[in-house]
Amino acid sequence: MLNIEGLDELTQMNTLQQLIYYVQQNGSYLWEQFLRHFLISIYGVLFAAIVAIPIGFYIARHSKLADWVVGAANVIQTIPSLAMLSLLMLGFGIGVNTVIITVFLYSLLPIIKNTYAGVKNVDNALMDAAKGMGMTRWQLTYKVELPMALSVIMAGLRNALVVAIGVTAIGTFIGAGGLGDIIQRGVNASEGGAIILAGAIPTALMAVTADLVLAWLEKRLDPSSHKRR
Amino acid sequence: MVEFFNNYGSQMMRLIWEHLYISMVALGLGVVVAVPLGILLTRTEKLATGFIGVASILQTIPSLALLALMIPIFGIGRFPAIIALFIYSLLPILRNTYTGMRKVNPDLVDAARGMGMTEFQLIKKVELPQAAPVIMAGIRLSGTYVIAWAALASYIGAGGLGDFIFNGLNLYIPELIIGGTIPVTILALLVDFVLGQVEKKVTPRNQITE
Amino acid sequence: MRLKKRVKVAALASTAVFMTACSLPGLGAGLTEEGNIRIATQSSTEMVILGYIVQGMVNHYSEINADVIQNLGSSTMVNQAIVQGDADVAAVSYTGTALTGELGMDPITDPDEAREAVTDGFEEQFNIKYYPSYGFENTYAFLVTQELAEEHDLVNVSDLESIAEELTAGVDNSWMEREGDGYRAFLDTYQFDFETVYPMQVGLVYDAVQSGDMDVVLGYSTDGRIASYDLVLLEDDLNFFPPYDASPSVPFEILEEHPILDDILAKLEGAIDTDMMQEMNYIADEYLLEPATVAREFLEANNFFEDSEPYLEPVGGE
Repeated sequence: MLNIEGLDELTQMNTLQQLIYYVQQNGSYLWEQFLRHFLISIYGVLFAAIVAIPIGFYIARHSKLADWVVGAANVIQTIPSLAMLSLLMLGFGIGVNTVIITVFLYSLLPIIKNTYAGVKNVDNALMDAAKGMGMTRWQLTYKVELPMALSVIMAGLRNALVVAIGVTAIGTFIGAGGLGDIIQRGVNASEGGAIILAGAIPTALMAVTADLVLAWLEKRLDPSSHKRR
Repeated sequence: MVEFFNNYGSQMMRLIWEHLYISMVALGLGVVVAVPLGILLTRTEKLATGFIGVASILQTIPSLALLALMIPIFGIGRFPAIIALFIYSLLPILRNTYTGMRKVNPDLVDAARGMGMTEFQLIKKVELPQAAPVIMAGIRLSGTYVIAWAALASYIGAGGLGDFIFNGLNLYIPELIIGGTIPVTILALLVDFVLGQVEKKVTPRNQITE
Repeated sequence: MRLKKRVKVAALASTAVFMTACSLPGLGAGLTEEGNIRIATQSSTEMVILGYIVQGMVNHYSEINADVIQNLGSSTMVNQAIVQGDADVAAVSYTGTALTGELGMDPITDPDEAREAVTDGFEEQFNIKYYPSYGFENTYAFLVTQELAEEHDLVNVSDLESIAEELTAGVDNSWMEREGDGYRAFLDTYQFDFETVYPMQVGLVYDAVQSGDMDVVLGYSTDGRIASYDLVLLEDDLNFFPPYDASPSVPFEILEEHPILDDILAKLEGAIDTDMMQEMNYIADEYLLEPATVAREFLEANNFFEDSEPYLEPVGGE
């Protein structure tokens, strides 16, 4: 029925050879899932950033609220991602939107916390100087606080994105697609070792690369590194 | 509520025990490996960045991917799950041990050396007690995380409260999802609290005022 | 107070973003696009292949886009997704499972009665149309090697009776404890026992019988290794196992919206026999091909069942 001639030696291959073979055979599918995985994570983090950065600025000016907000977000963080995903599935149903909402919730804390810390750490003397120059509130935020805090905020985004890639992986359990699908398939297949690797290695690489790239960006945005140059 | 406990109560106790067991064995291994390694790194500074770098890369690997990677190597069950959780527990402990030891007041170390202490005595009697709270904070962080991550260990057949969550998710039984989530979260907060108390206990008197 | 208000606004705004972001760029062929048919399926190789077969058929015969939502935990979960409106088509469920699982009824061993009960039950409880079988079932099956079958003329399970006392049997662990269709019930129905019964992981039984470690094993009837090891599947002549015929199901509401879907699924009725399903499972697992690829090649090899009733005009460009 299906054309599988010349593949008989496959069963004799070792796992690494099987892995290479799998990637050759299913390369475009793998890439599709990789991209999908990345996008789901990015969307969740971006939505979180839109909400969390303003909150971070706000609580930096209203310190009384800071403990409360950070504390609440901390509790969210101790809920296992699988549990959070399952709970949200009960409310939002299966599919990709629920995964994005889960990523969103997990991303809030690191971004709020870092924005808060970044804004708080802005040198008071600098702020006074800027005020003395007659800057408006908006200008202060936009021209002084934001650039000074950007590197720290970026560290929060980095943290959030790494977590997001992990959360997206388990999104497969509610039918959201992504690289978790490939891992799941390998676990279900009778001799799926190579397929598991084909799913798990790119997932790990994506997280590690995202971490390294954003760490580099974080360094570039650090105002103190500019002075040195 | 009552019905849930009648039906699942004894099973829940078993799963809580399993959950604690795999988490604590993994954390124990993490402490046994990461604390001495962290101390060693303070003596061989050149290696420190490398080791901590590797540990943070390992930490970055998504949990589903790491657990799945265990299957072709170690198969399924508790053992591979414990290995995966152990790998995750390393970084916070390693990093905190290293920074904790380095932050010990150099005057104190010099004084101890002047008293003729050997390197081993120095570590045991001076540096380690001074660094203990920071190390303990690392262990506490790892402990809380490991409890949360252990929920996924059920995926490779290691049991624990993840069994409830997975069954609830797979068969659409909301009570099981909630019945798994609440104990895991309480367990995580409890471990955080208990290890927080230990952290306070090990803080030397001269640091309390800080 | 002002913060709470702002947080509320922010939360509302972000929810709004999610709700309107129903087609986020890049998640395209996305599970969220309006008007797409969403085919939900579980996680085994067979179930995913069937999901992609339905998708391939829909894309071939209609202008509607179809997406596959795979890896849901069970048929109960798939059904839940459909009832909640998160999916439109259940690619496959098995009569016995549907009966005791989704419908919560007692098992029925007569195939026709079971089918009728499921079809009626789905219509009454969920307003879902439960289709006739694809043409195969995936049930427990007793398997022996070709040699043993020839030596003792084995065709039916009953034929084992005369030699059973000398046979070792390897069976799925969970079968030992199952009520209704488990080991104890088996002894009652068939009135014979094996020399020794070894419970094991169901995935291991095929190798066990092929290597000669076991004389007879109990496995799943559509596993690809039955074909590749040339095992003989003994007929359950006393109808001991409840039927596990594989069928798709779709809510009537969706069928009204997309009448062509009904014709497409009718074309798949009886189109896939046990041998074909075994072969597809085998190829996907042994040759590391994605179920999507296997499904596409299967459909192309069968010309998308264009010659079978009912007649449908394929959409060009496939």
